[in-house]
Amino acid sequence: MAEKTKSPLKKKKSGLGLFNTGAVDLYFLILVLILLAVGLVMLFSASYPYAYYNNDGDSLYYFRKQLMFAVSGIVIMMIVSKVKYGWFKVLTYPLLILTVILLVVVLFLPDLPDTPGFKRWLYIPGMAGSPTFQPSELAKIALVMFCAVKMEQNHKKLVEKPFAFWPYALVTLILAGLIYLENHVSGTVLILMIGIVMMYLGGTKRYWFVLGIVAIVAVVALVLIKPDILPEHAAQRITLWLDKEAEPTKGRWQTNQSLYAISSGGLFGVGLGQSKQKHLYVSEPQNDFIFSIVCEELGLFGACVIIILFVLLIARGVAIALKAKDRFGSLLVLGVVFHIGMQVALNIGVVTDFLPNTGISLPFFSYGGTALWVLLAELGMVLSVSRSSSVKKV
Amino acid sequence: MSRRPTKLMGNRAVIALLFLVAAFIVNIGCLVRLQIFDPLGYKEKAAAQQISDVTVSALRGTIYDSKMNVIAQSATAWKIYLDPSKIPDEEIENVVKNLAEILDVDEEKLIKNVTQYAEKEMGYYVVKEKVENDAKEKVNEFRLQNSGYTEFIGIESDSKRYYPNNNFASSVIGFTAAEDAGRAGIELQYDSELTGTPGRTITAVNALSFEMTNGFETTYDAQAGTNLVLTIDSVIQHYLEKSITQALVDNKAKYAYGIVMDVKTGAILAMTTQPDYNLNDPYTLTDNQLLTDINKIEDISERSQQLLNAQFSQWRNRCISDTYEPGSVFKTITASAGLEEGVVSMDETLNCPGYIIVGDRRINCHNHAGHGTENFTEGLMNSCNPWFVTVGQRLGVDTYMKYFEAFGFTEQTGIDLPAEFQPVKGVHYYDKETMTNLDLASVSFGQSFQVSPLQMITAVAAIGNGGKLMEPYVVQAMTDSEGNTIWEKTPTVRRQVISEKVASQVAEMMEAVVTSGGGQNAYVAGYHVAGKTGTSEKLTSDEKKYIASFCCFAPSYDPEIAVIIIIDEPNAGKINGSTISAPVAGEVVEQTLKYLNVEPRYSANELAVLSDTSPDLVGKSVSEAKSYAESKGFEVKVIGSGTKVLRQSPEEGSVIPKEGIVILYTEEGDAETVKVPDLTGLTLSEANKKAANAGLNIKISGNFLNSGDIKSYKQSIEKDSSVAMGTTITVYFRSDTAGNDLAD
Repeated sequence: MAEKTKSPLKKKKSGLGLFNTGAVDLYFLILVLILLAVGLVMLFSASYPYAYYNNDGDSLYYFRKQLMFAVSGIVIMMIVSKVKYGWFKVLTYPLLILTVILLVVVLFLPDLPDTPGFKRWLYIPGMAGSPTFQPSELAKIALVMFCAVKMEQNHKKLVEKPFAFWPYALVTLILAGLIYLENHVSGTVLILMIGIVMMYLGGTKRYWFVLGIVAIVAVVALVLIKPDILPEHAAQRITLWLDKEAEPTKGRWQTNQSLYAISSGGLFGVGLGQSKQKHLYVSEPQNDFIFSIVCEELGLFGACVIIILFVLLIARGVAIALKAKDRFGSLLVLGVVFHIGMQVALNIGVVTDFLPNTGISLPFFSYGGTALWVLLAELGMVLSVSRSSSVKKV
Repeated sequence: MSRRPTKLMGNRAVIALLFLVAAFIVNIGCLVRLQIFDPLGYKEKAAAQQISDVTVSALRGTIYDSKMNVIAQSATAWKIYLDPSKIPDEEIENVVKNLAEILDVDEEKLIKNVTQYAEKEMGYYVVKEKVENDAKEKVNEFRLQNSGYTEFIGIESDSKRYYPNNNFASSVIGFTAAEDAGRAGIELQYDSELTGTPGRTITAVNALSFEMTNGFETTYDAQAGTNLVLTIDSVIQHYLEKSITQALVDNKAKYAYGIVMDVKTGAILAMTTQPDYNLNDPYTLTDNQLLTDINKIEDISERSQQLLNAQFSQWRNRCISDTYEPGSVFKTITASAGLEEGVVSMDETLNCPGYIIVGDRRINCHNHAGHGTENFTEGLMNSCNPWFVTVGQRLGVDTYMKYFEAFGFTEQTGIDLPAEFQPVKGVHYYDKETMTNLDLASVSFGQSFQVSPLQMITAVAAIGNGGKLMEPYVVQAMTDSEGNTIWEKTPTVRRQVISEKVASQVAEMMEAVVTSGGGQNAYVAGYHVAGKTGTSEKLTSDEKKYIASFCCFAPSYDPEIAVIIIIDEPNAGKINGSTISAPVAGEVVEQTLKYLNVEPRYSANELAVLSDTSPDLVGKSVSEAKSYAESKGFEVKVIGSGTKVLRQSPEEGSVIPKEGIVILYTEEGDAETVKVPDLTGLTLSEANKKAANAGLNIKISGNFLNSGDIKSYKQSIEKDSSVAMGTTITVYFRSDTAGNDLAD
């Protein structure tokens, strides 16, 4: 079996070269670029008052940085898309090990001054304004790649043997556990969901999922009844989520301001750039709550268009996956697009107060350079798979 | 083996996609709920927090006296407030301590309130209103020095009312309470005119309440309030207040109040109630004794009630809100009615036996021995009750009450001041349907009914005004903020009460009262004061308490001003209007008419004792000057051994008495000074002699034409002061035994 993991290097069919010469899926690429463009415009709109107030009147602070990351990210994406995706298998285990190391390292770094109690960010100690990076971003794609690599070989075993899912569950739990230690509940939840989805796609027996759903319902019920078992900040957020009338100035400020913004938008929004809630009402409107500003400025109509763009992106990803020339490619694409999809659904769930407030960002929209790089690199992988997928291209 | 994706994987991928789409549908459902239905009204809440609708307070109009001196003025001040919900717990102490110190507020109380507000998440606590610029700047400095303090220490513009003259005309002006609302006097009466139209600034604000960078702003300018120009003349008001305050002290009276009115228009030139209060500090009781007494009360609610009562009493304009029995002053009204109706003539005489029988009642004259035979004028001079009871009875209830009503005693005068006394039939005056002749008899000499001082002076002024009853007023014009006149008062004649002829007859009678009757103490040489005294017993208490009054107008041949002086509960022995009120009126009349440049018309008698003006002797040789001055009847004193007069005292044209002393200086050097002797308690000739011996001149004022027991009671320059030799000192004379008119 160990031989076979390295097979793409030997197999003639995949070619021996590093680069793939097939055409990328233009549909997918265009959807990515549209979402990226819309995301940048909205980031500009949402961030400029906050940037103005917090960066000595430099309204373009966040936009400029994000734009640089986006441009370089597109280059990264296109380079990654050129690489024959078989090479990603080689990277999988080193990446997984690196991820675990970083997830452990991050726990031992002193807290960042503006986020005491949270250990999500990796940074260069002693360097003021050091770029920060969440290793949990890396964990998502590492988990997807790990599952894809292993399931390609073990698909049959998974379908046939009831307990064959344990290595995936174990890796998922290790990653989730480490992220949980960062005090990062939303990251934990997302990793668990990615693991579950991958196991489901990989062919794990259905009754595990029935059992799993029962277990999840039980856990959710327990958490809702007794939030104290969660870390303090998470428990508090659950409590505040349950108590919709809670005093708006304290714990629920962020959520309420988000709801104010969304409701102010109405059907067609107040117009691009016209949001009032971004004027320091919605805290850090360029980050996790950017979608509320999107809703305020573009209305229900604009929000739906963006959701549909995401659905189209995911659906196109599924189409690419189904026509992929191998299971690794297929599972890789599915893992990437579903994790993006789940993250989007969770993010909107949070800004609409359907879910408790957790720190979950909106792909393509939320500010964060390294996260954008990771995202575009992942999409580059999808494009790479698309080059050899038999999906009907333009 | 095939590495192609299996069918199972394909199916599961589609199922997973459907789950995800379902999640997005839930997302959209949430958005529809919020954006279309908005069941919790978030949109409105958002709008409410984003809009700042700031009221820009408008400055209240300025109040000027008739000479455009500022009486009340508003200036921008500041309001300091806190947002307790935003103060971090550990900062509260520092914030409170410093603010309490800068703003001079009670620290304990502040910390208690701020903590309470913080607990309740309340965001607006006013620490102090009407803060002046210095203190505001200190607060600003404090909040800028501490990071984050600007988020919870707020400064808003506010306005503050200043009364530059403190107590001046306090009962007329009134003051403003919180929110600039007029609380008393003119401030209350003209509150809506004085209040400006506040402006508004509507801005989009961010969460820190700063304007949004791309926010809009709409401003409606504040419109300052209308300015008022009063009829009150500060100079006359000052004369009146000074004299009334002195009378209050001299007579140990409870209150003393008075009015000076322009006879021809009804304009109030001065009006005061003493003791008064500081308009800049209206809540502090001026009566220390009362304050001490109130503070002794142990029950808190009782104490605050008493304090409140005392404050209201302090603010009361007794000239228009209080009532009294006018007593003998009212005989002028009875005289007017009698002459107008022709039931009595000027040359008719009547014998006063000391009483008069009405029905089965015997009514005494205050002079129990009787005045004997007297004509009508003498009746008024003697304030003879039987005479006026007779006139009343001749008129009968209906006719008498017609004049009672016509003179305005059954209605408000209509003055533009709040809380004017409203007479009620059957309570304050007799209902003529049920009024008996006996009732009429007491009314005829001013008893058994209540009038306000303002009603009384308005009626008496009507006699001085050829029978035309005027509507008194205190605001003569209104101007806008640029000073343009936007409204001007036209004096209102209420009605012709009596004919001009009768009016001048009564005026003559009243002048006789002052020249040689009961009102002699109000005599002012050359100014022909026509007046009537009144003294009445207060019926409200067991103890005997009196109200001494005097009401007059002058000059009687063409009256300019009317004056009423009322001394309420005098407690220093003397209780008669003629003794204690009339001299006060005389002082006020003399100063006021002089100020108004009314030319005195002296009678021959007056000229005989009156002052002269000093001749111009400077530059003349000593002998020439001396012989010239002596030929004019002046005494001359030469200081120095020069041959030429270099200076003289008093200076040329100064008022000095006939046969006064002129000092001639023949050498350079300081003027010789002398010590002013005590010139009170002397007769006219004694005072003259004493002054001349000291090298001083005196000017005689007050009641001095009547030989007999007149004595000086006041001097214009205090004794023991040093003055230049030859200085003229005014000495006031009065009689302590002028007619007793207490009708009992």
